[in-house]
Amino acid sequence: MKDEQLLAELKKRDRNALKSVYIEYKTEFFKFASRYTKDDSLLEDVFQDAIIVLYENALAGKLDHLKSCLKTYLFGTGKFMLFKHFRDSKKQVYTDEEYKFDQYEQAVIEDVSSDEGLSTYQKLLVANFKKLGDKCREVLELFYLQNLKLEEIMTRQGYENKNVVKSQKSRCLKSLRDLIKRQNG
Amino acid sequence: MDKESLINAYFEGALNENELAEVARLKATDTEFAQELTFQIELQEALKKQERQEVKELFGSVVAAKRSKPVKVVNMRPWLAAASIALVVGLGSWLFFNNGNIDPDQLYETNFEPYDNVVHPIERGNQIEDLKDKAFTAYENDEYVVALELFSQLNKEQNDPYIEFYSAIVHMQLGDHEQAVHSLQSYMAQDGALNDRATWYLALSYLKLGDLEKSKVHLQKVVTEDGFKAEAAARILDSLE
Repeated sequence: MKDEQLLAELKKRDRNALKSVYIEYKTEFFKFASRYTKDDSLLEDVFQDAIIVLYENALAGKLDHLKSCLKTYLFGTGKFMLFKHFRDSKKQVYTDEEYKFDQYEQAVIEDVSSDEGLSTYQKLLVANFKKLGDKCREVLELFYLQNLKLEEIMTRQGYENKNVVKSQKSRCLKSLRDLIKRQNG
Repeated sequence: MDKESLINAYFEGALNENELAEVARLKATDTEFAQELTFQIELQEALKKQERQEVKELFGSVVAAKRSKPVKVVNMRPWLAAASIALVVGLGSWLFFNNGNIDPDQLYETNFEPYDNVVHPIERGNQIEDLKDKAFTAYENDEYVVALELFSQLNKEQNDPYIEFYSAIVHMQLGDHEQAVHSLQSYMAQDGALNDRATWYLALSYLKLGDLEKSKVHLQKVVTEDGFKAEAAARILDSLE
């Protein structure tokens, strides 16, 4: 599959696209990264995290004008994260990262590698989010996960006016808060 | 810009320096504004983390499916052996009788297809919610080893009869027909809604196990009921006679 096509599918949050990135590059990444460590379980973690970083940056539109190919970006991210891991665990290792990530991309990397799972409150949010109707879940996911602007959501859903989406979003957030309140008694 | 628009634009990354300063100012002075902003930031983070978790589970299932591959290779060999014997026997009988050969394996291969997931529709693109979702997603994606494991967990938790039925189909996919027969029989004993389907698959498993007499009995049942796969069953019976 061509990079552009793959990126377009990633931006639609297509799980199969994620799966094909994983399958396509895993062996090669392990070969590429094995010169830095022989720890396969570390490589597996880093590789999975690197795909998630790639995915989230693609969703944020950071890869829309990607100059290199997707593989270079993925491997660059993986290497960056691996070295970051070495640095954080105070292992001495030379750094020769040639990839220049901007502030936003580095924040994503930081966020993904320090992700320790959902907090109790976040679990509550997710559980109640799932109870919302399809329409609400869709709007909120488009906004918060797919990073679409209200105006883009409007065009996508065929509304005439941005305010329709705005009030829909606000209504959905209110339902979510109500659900949580009800659960907490 | 009203406060709501300010927050929306914040998430859209559409604020200029002055507006960002305004957000910071309101956050420090306006409790309601601060609560609203924090709630949405928390929600976004929760949704992201949840998705990361699901993506990792997805990768995990790819790894698990890869690990199960050797099983398939092992299963190939007897199949190849059977196929070559069938070829020799088939060729011989064709020379003798010139009226086609009866090859249960061949009949099985042409007739077997996994039964569609009709009990638990999976909405594509939705978040994978529970064990049942996961099991049927694996089933629909042909990840049979994963599916089998999940079905057996599911069976412990809720013990719905259809789990036995789908487990049987998975066993058939993995070439374990003894186990498939066992699961199908226990499903049929509970008189489930898919009993006619189960009869058909039982006949196929017996066919594959080479127990032609039992296979015929069940094929005959399928023909008599004149419903699901009745025609196909009649055709197989014809070839076997």
